[in-house]
Amino acid sequence: MFKKFIPKEMVTNINNAKSSVQKGIRHQVLDQMPFAEDYIDQILPKKEALKIVKCQDHIEILAAQNGELLFFRHRDGDLYPTLKLLHKYPFILPHMQVDKGAIGFVLSGANIMCPGLTSPGARMTRVDKDTVVAIMAEGKDTAIAIGLTKLSTDDIISKNKGVGVENIHFLNDGLWQMKAVK
Amino acid sequence: MATADGGAERAFLVNEGPKKGVSYPIKLAYCGECTMPIEYCEYYVNYEKCKEWLQKNLPREFEKLSVTKEGEGDVEKKDDGGSGEEKKKRQTRGGKGLMKAKKKVEPQGIRMWTASRGKKKKVTIVVGLASYEIDLKDASKFFASKFSCGSSVSGDDEIVIQGDVKDDLFDYLPEKWSQIEEDDIEDMGEKK
Ligand SMILES: [Zn+2]
Repeated sequence: MFKKFIPKEMVTNINNAKSSVQKGIRHQVLDQMPFAEDYIDQILPKKEALKIVKCQDHIEILAAQNGELLFFRHRDGDLYPTLKLLHKYPFILPHMQVDKGAIGFVLSGANIMCPGLTSPGARMTRVDKDTVVAIMAEGKDTAIAIGLTKLSTDDIISKNKGVGVENIHFLNDGLWQMKAVK
Repeated sequence: MATADGGAERAFLVNEGPKKGVSYPIKLAYCGECTMPIEYCEYYVNYEKCKEWLQKNLPREFEKLSVTKEGEGDVEKKDDGGSGEEKKKRQTRGGKGLMKAKKKVEPQGIRMWTASRGKKKKVTIVVGLASYEIDLKDASKFFASKFSCGSSVSGDDEIVIQGDVKDDLFDYLPEKWSQIEEDDIEDMGEKK
């Protein structure tokens, strides 16, 4: 989603969220990422208005008052944490670990193919299709990307070919490079 | 344990939420060169630049990186060498493993510094000789006889010499081994 994302050109406007919108977002985060509960006030302080950064292609980025980029979504779809937020709270998403051989591909923005998730160096959490997941890598502690499963874990295993997880946001893509918003 | 489809039994990950004993948010160190978490620097096209940056700005992380590269817990194998603090310092000293892995033959420069052993005693630590294809045991013997003092190999590219002999080393190293230039040697002062 952010492979060719150039913040300067893509951002159309930045507004503070209305409190009703902010409440909705808080709800959505907890709904989608139940493990975030203990830290939700740290992540989305109640007293601080969220900034909504509207971008082209129906992308919306949610930022803290200090400009730190927290979540993003496409149209009214699922919320994704940014990698920087995920690095702070790695447990908010289920992890899918690719094998070492896939790391270079993921970093160039490629989707994650099933064999990269089923080989001996890989490990998966059991999830359904269309789940937002953290892409981890064999031998590494930090997330390399954030993805959306195209198949359930069971189907990834049984089919073992084609795209298993869509690469939505990865280290060094346009969103990663994007600075805190003013 | 084979399943019906012939694959091995698969161990799944389970998301169990925040880990006990970890305080969140986790503060990660990002590389000033490639901007990624430093464990991914090795995938950056300009990895050499990353290493330079790390060495300058996050020497501890740089050293960790190299220890990880060395792998196989050779950390524990290093010699007894005094207090836990000293040990810690030594086990992470270096950049050597990484350098070795990447550029086997190219000399990496020699770094030396002094450290205290006890209240009055000082030792000089020399790192980098192995990258000049110098046998460390021979070198250690040479130092012992030259300085009439104790000297020992304390890591896979590290020698400890009793006393502060840094100044002398600037002369002796290029003299003894012609492949070393005086400019290759870096005096890193005193480390605690
Ligand atoms: Zn780097």
